[in-house]
Parts: sequence; structure tokens; C-alpha cells
Amino acid sequence: MARSTTTTRSPPRHPCEQGKDLTRRAQRPARAALLVIAALLAVLAPAMSAAREYLQLFVAEPYLELHTGPGRGYPVFHAVPRDESVDVLFRRTDWFKVRTERGVEGWASQADMLKTVMADGSPFKFELGDQAGFSSHRYELGVFAGEYGGANLISAYWSVSLNPQMAVEAAAGQFLGRFSNGESGDLGFAHVISADTRWSPLLLLGVGIVHTEPKATLTTPENRTEQTAYVGGGIRYYLTRRFFMRAEYKAHYIFTKRNQNEEADEWKLGFAFFF
Amino acid sequence: METGIRVLLLTAALALLPGCATVRNWFHGKHAAQSTDTQAGSPSGTAGSAGPEDETAPRVIEPQVERRQIKVPRIKSSNVELGAFYGALSIEDFGTNADYGITAAYHITEDFFFQGEAGRSRGGRTSFETLSGNLQLLTEAERRFTYYDLSLGYNFLPGEAFLGRGVAMTSAFYLLGGFGATDFAGDTKFTVNFGGGYRVVPTDWLALHVTVQDHVFQTSLLGVTKLTNNLEARMGATVFF
Repeated sequence: MARSTTTTRSPPRHPCEQGKDLTRRAQRPARAALLVIAALLAVLAPAMSAAREYLQLFVAEPYLELHTGPGRGYPVFHAVPRDESVDVLFRRTDWFKVRTERGVEGWASQADMLKTVMADGSPFKFELGDQAGFSSHRYELGVFAGEYGGANLISAYWSVSLNPQMAVEAAAGQFLGRFSNGESGDLGFAHVISADTRWSPLLLLGVGIVHTEPKATLTTPENRTEQTAYVGGGIRYYLTRRFFMRAEYKAHYIFTKRNQNEEADEWKLGFAFFF
Repeated sequence: METGIRVLLLTAALALLPGCATVRNWFHGKHAAQSTDTQAGSPSGTAGSAGPEDETAPRVIEPQVERRQIKVPRIKSSNVELGAFYGALSIEDFGTNADYGITAAYHITEDFFFQGEAGRSRGGRTSFETLSGNLQLLTEAERRFTYYDLSLGYNFLPGEAFLGRGVAMTSAFYLLGGFGATDFAGDTKFTVNFGGGYRVVPTDWLALHVTVQDHVFQTSLLGVTKLTNNLEARMGATVFF
């Protein structure tokens, strides 16, 4: 199934023991029923059976507590003593699913995992979802509600940080108004002015495309797709953990095929998180 | 006034952009850059101190140890949940029909998650249409009810569900609230959705859901402008990635 990579301290589980586990599980009718459902989704499922190498960590505190589920309320059902190792199977939010040398699987909290060490004795370090992460992170994802040229706007954005001050952002939105509906897409740069403070202003600059479908009662009912450019500003506010709020204004210049170019204002407010 | 804001923002952007160009640590190369700096700086410092020592104490054994490159395995993150659902949607004035769709969620903390979903259903005949015989308010294409929404979810009352003596599955109730758009009767409307559900996680990678939601939007299809409530009850299965 899986093997540890680092040192000799953890003996691999005996194959017979694993086999026994499996047969015992298969005998449970309820679990078998779930397996049928599982089989239907197996096409979608990640490569579960593929051999993976897991990170092996050693308990440096008197013990490491394992919970029955990935949440603060789940009871502790097992304690791994000092100097024993655990294999880290995967991480879900701030919880790590681990397996002990004896094959016991449970969930360890982020705070407890920070106190474990690697095979060479160095502390185990990983990325935490805290304000330091807010200042410097790789990706952002967020959703907004707002107004685009007088219409209701639903919008989402994805951002990739080049460094703490500079990010490339892509946004997609749909606006729904009394006179027209449509979609917009933007691609541009965001410059964060004071990345390490809770309130950090942003400047935005980029290009985009807008597709407008006027409602039939208007005089120019044909749909149109036009290029845009925008300049804007915004502010983001760190809330807690991986969350922040973001408000922004974009002034769009729409390059039309008609005599005059148009302008549209976009105001929006939303939630985002970083990872 | 607006032009004033534009000029101000453009000026600020222009003033700051040359500053960005001087930033050399693209792609978080800060640490790499710093370490090369220190490496570059160090030979002059160490050469001075190590030089005389080498002359007085010649090395007896040349160590021939090859440094082993230890690759630390990456910890897999499993925060993304993708899946499908099937249920019933009651479209106000247009009856209850089957609906189906797909969902995608990202779990941010143990309490909160973002969810996006898209679904489709079909509006039936209004009672007015049924009573009046052959009259059709909408074409067949216009009866298609398509929606999407982006929601924030909050897990509450987390716990464990037991199946007999031997099986324990983690579970949680959740609240959902968000906004999106609904395409129905030849128009797309801004839609607010809210509701809740129950999730049970039998294995590490599979979750089963029961969800009830209301999709609220404004319409004037039947003469008067009103808010319509479109209740949805559904079951779904999702896979964690």
C-alpha cells in the first residue's frame, strides 16, 4: 500500500495483518453497501490505490493526541507516545490524517503537528493559514456581489501572486440589469500597497472583454462583444484564518464599434481566501 | 467627478508601476535570492580564516561522502469536493420537477467552505395554462430552468453518525447562503439562495449530502412583479480531492 521514506524506525506493517484488516472490513454488511456506492464514484476518485510515499514524523512531546474526526469537538481516542512515528496521509483544512506505526489512523490538529519533528530532528514546518499568510501567499480566490454599469453583478476572481506586492488576476462576472444582461471577463495586474497590514489598499490595471445582450425593448437590440480596459482601486481587510474581505472599484473603458467609446463603473464587495 | 477618480487612479497606477518593474523577486524567489547573496558573500569571509588552518593541519583523510539528496514527500491536501446531485425543485407557479446538477466546494477551515453549483430543471404548466386549454405562456425552450450560484457554507453541529456497532462516520449540518443567476422564461435573473444540509463522510474521500435550499428571484412574468421562492430538496454525492 504505502511505505515510509525516511528512516528505519518504523517497521512496515505485515502483509498478513493488512489482509486480515481488509477481510474484517468486507464482512461488515454496512460497509459493503457503502463500497457499492463508492465503486460507482471510483471513476472520479483520485488514484487511491496508487503507491504513495508519506512523510514520516516523530513525536517530540510526551504524546500526540489523535482525534476521531477533523474538528475541535471530535474526541481523542488514541495517544502516540514520544519518539514513535506517524505517517502523514493527507491534510484537510487545519487537520492532518496520520497513521501510527501500529496502523492506527486518526486526525491530529495543526497545533499538535507543529510540535513534531522530522527524522533528522528538525522541526516540521508547513504553511499556516494566518496573517503572515495573508501578507504573502500564492493564490487567492473570491466572490463578489456588486454593480456593473447600473446592473446587478455577480463576480468571482482568481489571483496568482508574483510577490507579496504584485499579483496577476483573472475575474469573470455576470451582470443582470433592467436594460441588458451580459458577461464580462478581466485580466490584469493588482498592486498591493501595504501587504503586511490588516488593511491593504490595491491598485488595479488591466484589459477585458464584455458581452452585452440588450433586452428586446431597446432600440439597438443586437448582442455585442467589445474589448475593454480598466483602471481601479480597492482595499482588502484580513478577517481571520484564511479569510479576508475585499472591496473594489473599476473604471472600465469600453471600445465600441460605434462613434463613441463608452464607460462603465464597477463597484463590488466580497469575500476571498488565500491558499 | 467620475473622470476625476479615473485620472487620480491612473496617476497613482502610473506612479507605482515603475516601482513594480524594479522588483526582482518574481515568483517568491526572495529566499533563493537571499541565499545566493549570502553564498556569494561568504567565500571572502571564510577563505581568510580557513586558509592558515589548512597549512598547519594537513588533511589525512579526504572524505568521499556523497551527500544524499533527501526528498521530503509532499503532504497531499484534500480540501476540494466535487460531485453531483439529484432532487426536486418546486418552481413557483410552474410546479415541482426533477432537478440535477453539479457542485464544487473548497473547504477553507473546519467551519467554513465556499461552494459553487450549477443545476437544471424544467418548469411545468401553470394552473392558468391547464384551465385555459391550449394556451401556452412559455415555449418548451423557455421552460428550461438553469441556475448557478456561489455560496459560503458554515458547518455546525459536527459529529459522528454510527451505523451499527462497527462503523462511525463523521458528519455535520451546514448552512449555505449566496447569490447567483437563474435563467428561466427567456430571462436571466439575479438570484439569492440560502438553505442548509447534512453531510456524512463514510470514507476519507467520499461524502453524501442531503440539501434543502431556496432560490429567490424577482420576476414579472405573470403580470405583477414579485419575489418568487423556488424550493429545492436534493441528495448528492461528492468526492474529496
